[in-house]
Amino acid sequence: MAGTIVADTIQDGAGNSTAMDNAIYGSAKAYVNYNGTGTPAINGSYNVSSVTRSGTGIYIVNFTNAMSDAKYAVAITGGCYLSVLGGFLGEYTTSSTTPNQRSTTSVGMFFQSGTSGAGQDNCTASLVVYR
Amino acid sequence: MTQAIIFTNDNGGVSVCIPTGELPINEVLSKDAPAGAIIVDDSTLPQGADSSFFDAWELSGSTVTVNFEKAKAIKLAQFNAKAVEEAQKRQLNTLAGIDNAVSDADFTASLTAGRASIASATTTAELVAI
Repeated sequence: MAGTIVADTIQDGAGNSTAMDNAIYGSAKAYVNYNGTGTPAINGSYNVSSVTRSGTGIYIVNFTNAMSDAKYAVAITGGCYLSVLGGFLGEYTTSSTTPNQRSTTSVGMFFQSGTSGAGQDNCTASLVVYR
Repeated sequence: MTQAIIFTNDNGGVSVCIPTGELPINEVLSKDAPAGAIIVDDSTLPQGADSSFFDAWELSGSTVTVNFEKAKAIKLAQFNAKAVEEAQKRQLNTLAGIDNAVSDADFTASLTAGRASIASATTTAELVAI
């Protein structure tokens, strides 16, 4: 049965409590983990409908349910060796001011080789969104 | 069998959209892909070596092909990047050898060996394999 519980704090059986804001804003609003070596192979997701490979090292993550706005925080990791070699992994952008693809419905990921500077696909790529 | 949604992107290349399974693929098609996108079996996409030329893929009808000229440029860029990396590594080794020289003969030998090493940088197994 659908419904709403209104509360300021939540508490467990041992008496430990936390403000409801922690539960609301402290929980991830989306995540995805995939192997990005070639066509993406999805390992797990929450609130992510698809991952689009748009170029080597460039991936667009599409949300199942849109975010309330585009002011969310994104954490991106890659399981390969890019950071060790001075590569870049983060939000996809071709502008110094505007992250490409950041909207309420999708966000871009970019992985760059530290040696060539070119886009490079990454194994075990992950993205988490907080809002 | 994995299904993929493919379409021509703004760069003239091909974008490949893989549903996570949270929504039916037809819903993903209408929600996450532009008009004209199509659903294909991913086994029909270029495989093996051709899959590494993703940025050279082009969509014609429902078939993805590899543009040979774009693929050549990608391969050349990969080769050049590796060659520069290898030459820089050998240059540093040469400088270290010169730095450690204790006589004119050592110095000359290190320099000669360094020149030869840098000149043959593109014959490493890694570069030959490209």
